[in-house]
Amino acid sequence: MNSDHQRPDLALHGTLSTNLIGFCRLLRTQGAGLGPGEELDALHALEQLGVDNRDRFRAALRTTLAKNPREQALFDQYFEHYWQVWDRASELNKPVPQEKTSQSANAPKQTGTTPLDIRDWLKRDETPEEDREAAGYSPFAVVTKRDFADFDATDLDEVSRLIAALSKALATRFNRRYQPAKQGARIDLRRSMRWGLKYGGDLIDLAFRRRRRQKLNLVLLCDVSKSMDLYSRFLIQFVYGFQRAYRRLETFAFSTALHRITPVLRQRDLTQVLRRLPHAMPEWSGGTRIGETLREFTEQHGHLVDRRTVVLIVSDGWDTGEVDLLTEQMRQLQRRARCLVWLNPLMGNDTYEPTCRGMQAALPFIDIFAPAHNVDSLRQLVGRLGSLRNRVWTRAPKAAAPATSAQTAAQPSPTQPAAAPQPTRDRQYWRQRFDNASGRLT
Amino acid sequence: MSLDQTDVLQQMLQAQNYIAEPEITTALYLAQTLNKPLLVEGPAGVGKTEIAKVMAQALDTDLIRLQCYEGLDANAALYEWNYQRQLLHIKLAEGGDKSVEDKERDIFSDAFLLKRPLLQAITHPKAPVLLIDELDRADEEFESFLLEILSEWQITIPEMGPVKAVHPPHVVLTSNRTRELSDAVRRRCFYLWIDYPDFDKEQAIVQQKVPGIDEALAQQICRFMELARQQKLEKVPGVAETLDWARALVALHQRHLDPALIEATLGIVFKDWADITQVKESLADFLERLGIRPRLAPPVPDEQ
Repeated sequence: MNSDHQRPDLALHGTLSTNLIGFCRLLRTQGAGLGPGEELDALHALEQLGVDNRDRFRAALRTTLAKNPREQALFDQYFEHYWQVWDRASELNKPVPQEKTSQSANAPKQTGTTPLDIRDWLKRDETPEEDREAAGYSPFAVVTKRDFADFDATDLDEVSRLIAALSKALATRFNRRYQPAKQGARIDLRRSMRWGLKYGGDLIDLAFRRRRRQKLNLVLLCDVSKSMDLYSRFLIQFVYGFQRAYRRLETFAFSTALHRITPVLRQRDLTQVLRRLPHAMPEWSGGTRIGETLREFTEQHGHLVDRRTVVLIVSDGWDTGEVDLLTEQMRQLQRRARCLVWLNPLMGNDTYEPTCRGMQAALPFIDIFAPAHNVDSLRQLVGRLGSLRNRVWTRAPKAAAPATSAQTAAQPSPTQPAAAPQPTRDRQYWRQRFDNASGRLT
Repeated sequence: MSLDQTDVLQQMLQAQNYIAEPEITTALYLAQTLNKPLLVEGPAGVGKTEIAKVMAQALDTDLIRLQCYEGLDANAALYEWNYQRQLLHIKLAEGGDKSVEDKERDIFSDAFLLKRPLLQAITHPKAPVLLIDELDRADEEFESFLLEILSEWQITIPEMGPVKAVHPPHVVLTSNRTRELSDAVRRRCFYLWIDYPDFDKEQAIVQQKVPGIDEALAQQICRFMELARQQKLEKVPGVAETLDWARALVALHQRHLDPALIEATLGIVFKDWADITQVKESLADFLERLGIRPRLAPPVPDEQ
């Protein structure tokens, strides 16, 4: 695939150790997080095993250099390329044309096509008209006054306050770990004993301990397709701040494909993040296939979701993929997660109804359906997530719920999925569903 | 000559009834000779834990196991004082004329120390194999605590002073990837991913572990498992399930699979209701691809 930038005889030049370092660099440019420690380990390993058996050579490098499935995949992809001179193993120790390592280090990073570079989209700051144009893409005019579409830097403070509140709201469960406390239900024998020593072993002052609060894990799936352009800028800012404030957050961006952008967002400053995002997310502003994306997510990152995980999907629901698949994936996701939240920026619009196909298919499986178009709406969301804190969160059994139109749309017979009945509910109805105090769809 | 050593290891593993590819042996060998922890990941039921057990037997040393769970903390992993005994001791010594310092020295001595796995491993006279099982279940605080231990091999008990390992243990960590382990842990370890075995390996495992199994039956079982794992299942059956099933069928004196038998024993292999229904639905297709026909009822539709 990327063989064009690979010189086939790369490994021929230089000694084994420089070759190894070259290989490590190559892996690093492809995103493997290995450092000098790994290089050293690999050298030690080769010292132990020698280099005269190819399989063992490979196994030794693999176990010392590639430390997770993703890196193993990278390793497999580049190993053959790099070490393909194997037959002439003796030549591996040859010297040394100069350009060699720099060649491999500068191996061009695969970028793919970038339909809309994030930098372009920052430049558009100055030309708000274009933003309006982008808005024209979505079928609903965005009228709400302080929409993120014209998000202001002065709001940043407010946003960071919100983020702090949100992080706190998510500290929900009681842990099975304990921490010392002034008083509490449980006696801390260990500390009581120590205190008791001074009275000859009588426990006079009791030390207590209490359970520690445990935080929820969060998985954020952000739609950055064309129709979401208006909101993406705010979202990135929000997610960036959030990522820094809340460690238990994994962020993915999707348009036609899914990308884990958590590592990028962990960069120290925002400009760095913005510079790297286009590489991490080549198909910015493409189309949307939510169903496929979710499937990719469950297959590759499903292990991130358990009963302590809140999954947030941020999308307008404009979907060009298979509806069946979307339904099935939403069902699965809801079953595995503690709570499934869908944030739809379009909901800020008074006339919005979740009528589009994708939204229709997804609705029955959403626990919290909320707008995310301005600071206010986020504040409400914080309150809502906070309400998850002090009670055991259980879903109303699906069967007991009244059969809404959305519900019937959710269990289509496999033969006629496209004919999802048009919702007859009016705006009032959706408002109510979304306003009801528990924040839960009934 | 060093090459031979991995071969020796391979033979030792085989002697313990553990079937391992070169990749596994190499990783084990390197972890052991370079004295690095080995992080083993992979789906549930592929024999991650087994690796540590077998390694202990092969090295002829003890296995010390620390099973991680949510809320596992330093006390449960390292040591605890035996409070009840300390209290009793103080009471018994009450009349005596010992000073407080002496009393304190008495009750904070070895006799009152309950060693938990990590301390056991550190104080063990011969380098043991320390298995830290399902590290992903413990929380992150514990992970960082563990990092400290893994790098120093020394712990400090405030009442007794520092304890340093005489022989650093061989460490095997396993994870089911219910959450990502921190990079710091990964970087410190050698890494091994074990996947579901392919057909040949699985058959070898079954024949090795289930003595007296018919070769044809073993083959059928493994083919079935191979097909089953291609389905989209909630809980993909691991090697453990394969072995349970094989043992059950042997106990039932079966020599080959047939539809009724499979249906009756599906619960051994699949541990999720949705999975069982799904497999039942596609059973006919399975059987066709396996070339299995019902034993009693011959295929019907030929009549017309």
